[in-house]
Amino acid sequence: MVINKREKNSVVIFDIEGEIKRSDITDVTLHQLVKDQLESGKKHILLNFEKVEFIDSFGVGEILASYISTHNLGGKLKLARISKKLFLVFQVTMLTKVLDIVEDEETALQGFFKD
Amino acid sequence: MAKSRLSRILSRVVDIKTGEERIALLLFSYFFLITAPFTIIKAVRDQSYLDGPGVQNLPYAYATALLLGFVVSLHSKMQARISRQGLISFSLAFFIGTSFLFFLLLPNAGNWLPIVYYMWANVFAVVIMTQFWMVMNDIFNPREAKRLIGFFGSGGILGGIAGGVATWRLAKPDEEHELLILVLVLLVACTFVVRAIFIWQKKAQGTISFSAPKSGSSAMGTEQAGFKVCFDTVRKDNYLKLLAAVVILTQIVSTFIDVQSKSYINQNPGMKANLASFFGLFQAGLLVFSFFFQILMTSNLVKRFGIRLPLMIYPAILLLFSLGIFVAPGIVLAILIKGSDKSLSYSVNQSARELLYVPVAPEKKYKAKAFIDMFLNRFSKTAGAMILLVIFYLTNPKNPNIKVVSVVSACFLLAWILLNLKVSKEYVSTVKEKLGREWERGDRIVDRAMDVETAKLVFDTLESKNRSSDLYAMHLYDLLKKDKLTPEIKKLIGYESDEIRVASLGVLMEAEESPWTVHEDEELPAEVLQKEIQEIMELESYQHLIKDYADKVIPGKGPDSETAKMELAKAISLMDPRSPLAASLDDLIKDESPAVSRYAMEAAAKFKAREHVPLLIRKLADPLTREDARAALEKYGSKIIGMLGDYLEDPAEPPAVREAVTSVLAGIGSPDVAELLLQALAGGQEELQSDLIDALDKIRSRTPNLPVSVEAVRMLIVKEVVHYTHEKKPSAVINIFKLLGLVYSHEDIFRAYQNIRVRTKDSVAYALELLDYTLDKEMRDLIFPVLEDFTAVNKTV
Repeated sequence: MVINKREKNSVVIFDIEGEIKRSDITDVTLHQLVKDQLESGKKHILLNFEKVEFIDSFGVGEILASYISTHNLGGKLKLARISKKLFLVFQVTMLTKVLDIVEDEETALQGFFKD
Repeated sequence: MAKSRLSRILSRVVDIKTGEERIALLLFSYFFLITAPFTIIKAVRDQSYLDGPGVQNLPYAYATALLLGFVVSLHSKMQARISRQGLISFSLAFFIGTSFLFFLLLPNAGNWLPIVYYMWANVFAVVIMTQFWMVMNDIFNPREAKRLIGFFGSGGILGGIAGGVATWRLAKPDEEHELLILVLVLLVACTFVVRAIFIWQKKAQGTISFSAPKSGSSAMGTEQAGFKVCFDTVRKDNYLKLLAAVVILTQIVSTFIDVQSKSYINQNPGMKANLASFFGLFQAGLLVFSFFFQILMTSNLVKRFGIRLPLMIYPAILLLFSLGIFVAPGIVLAILIKGSDKSLSYSVNQSARELLYVPVAPEKKYKAKAFIDMFLNRFSKTAGAMILLVIFYLTNPKNPNIKVVSVVSACFLLAWILLNLKVSKEYVSTVKEKLGREWERGDRIVDRAMDVETAKLVFDTLESKNRSSDLYAMHLYDLLKKDKLTPEIKKLIGYESDEIRVASLGVLMEAEESPWTVHEDEELPAEVLQKEIQEIMELESYQHLIKDYADKVIPGKGPDSETAKMELAKAISLMDPRSPLAASLDDLIKDESPAVSRYAMEAAAKFKAREHVPLLIRKLADPLTREDARAALEKYGSKIIGMLGDYLEDPAEPPAVREAVTSVLAGIGSPDVAELLLQALAGGQEELQSDLIDALDKIRSRTPNLPVSVEAVRMLIVKEVVHYTHEKKPSAVINIFKLLGLVYSHEDIFRAYQNIRVRTKDSVAYALELLDYTLDKEMRDLIFPVLEDFTAVNKTV
């Protein structure tokens, strides 16, 4: 898994590529990257799932931990561009009840400031 | 920013901030220029009435207050149609004109004109004073109002003193009407001050509240506010009804006191010779007292004690004097009670009462004030008049028994005191309503919205489809056992329609692989399947077989071996905790593959054997296994608190482990855990400070009645205050609030914190107001300097 960071309009965007699985993590975890941004004062985090093929339970844990850390500081975390298959899994497991999942990056960026 | 000279002078007597000097002085002047003429008007009113209709007809004068209903209705209609500035300017012009008219007419008045003049004086008081307080409410939020109310309130008192002294010195017997020229001059000056206030308002805040409303809407953008609308606004709101009840009692008691004092004053020959002059001197004297009380005491009383004590002082003192008049009636007590009534009314009581309105929503506030201050105020005087007429009738109409009035007054004062207690409690509730809960703890939202364990199991099931049909089958079985294999999940798992060769739990049976595809319409024989598999797993022969298999698989390396070990660990998790295979878990937990150790930890969590705990804690050090280890340890529950505590307190353990242990303890969340965490904090674990405090906050958010040592928490708050003072770390502020949430209402503290974070002027003010009432004095004195620094301009979190 590869994670690249960029910023747009004070929103930190993590472009994730590959599978978010425990066997594929080599360096720093997603949650740690999110925490680092929160500690530096950022409050708006967007996870771009366009190139994420699959996630396992470790990946679910990372996403939820990132959500909790962001939310507890009064920030917002959104997911964008997840595949239909993954979205279906999120729906069945009720992750969609918690996570703010949007179609595309632009919608997410507008949503941060509208919220 | 350097303070201006004016600011430096004013800050000697009042807690004034830069930028507030001009408006504070303007309001001071405004209040001065309306109370000075009112004092004169009242003195002329009382003389002309006592000389004309007389003391025994005073209740009829009070009763004319009822006609003020029409005035209130007219004022409300005008308020809805024209701007605030227009309304005030019109009112001032009206009173200037009618002052001149009375100046011309009063000298030749019969007994009827003093009654008309009495009514006019009542209208003046109601309209002009209410308009002043409306302007004050428009400009200031609760925190600002509390700071400054003593100052510009004292402008009113000084005006009263000036008006009183002028009346005393200038009033001539039978020529009291000439004082109305002075009234006229003062009101003209007032129009210029009012104009300056609105110019300041426009510059400071734009024209939001003060532009002319569209037709049919009010200056506040609400519907047209007739009398009925104003009445309904009060009727439908419990808090406003309480305020209304207080006003009713205040005015009724005030009429009793007025009659008590005037009875004895009118009997005194020295005073009777020039009543206007006496009333002027009396008014000036009591206002001198009020002025010093207001400027030196009112703001301090309110800041120190909140609203409750200032609300109680007034009726408590009147009760004392009322009982005094009953015991030893005479001119001294009559003057004392009247003096107390007016001086405390103008100072601490008026200020406290106006503060009670500040948290009321703007669209309700103006309607309520129009009704309460303009109509109910005077209607209550009528009610007091009715009660007095009954007392006079029952005693002696020509020579009423004032002692009976004192007793009745005392009863009303007791009711008033009880009502004030309720009002001050409701004030806090009203402030809380202004503070929304901006967000909730993320972990609580997650716990409430979804089943994380099942979600993870579903993902693992899907992932295992590509890895191992045996693992896949075991996951399906696990879902089945947990009764989580819902139609939606079955459909999801059968999403890819490729046929999947599932080895029907082949590793258990050593049977040939047989195809098994999950179709969404297939009914799995759940109970039968569970029973069969359980029986197989309990067979001694089965256990030996798998043990041999485990001994071969566990030492292996490589991807195939990893999958085999995952299957083994998963299978063990499906077995009974007494299975000898549980002994193999240690090796599987220690495995370098996070996927293998994950399944092994899951099994350990089901078995809850203490011997696995140290290994699980070791796994907290690795970010890849931390979450799984944490979840496993949490399932052990309270029985491992002691063991976790040892790791927490051991400075030799890696920080990541100790942080994760804190998180596990927060997940377990029993009162013993809270005690342990507090001890760890008190033990000075600086590097874990925020994690420990967050853990306590998490537990408290789930357990509102969590018992904690208040003293221990207080000492921790002191430490955080010191951190903030020396290092200005925003995290210290968050920690302070989390610690406060342990000993005060968690909900209230977090509303206050979140509204401080929202950072609008009003959200911060209301948040601080709530904390002012929630925290005890020692805590307020400790943290308010931190909060006031933190909420100053340009602070960020």
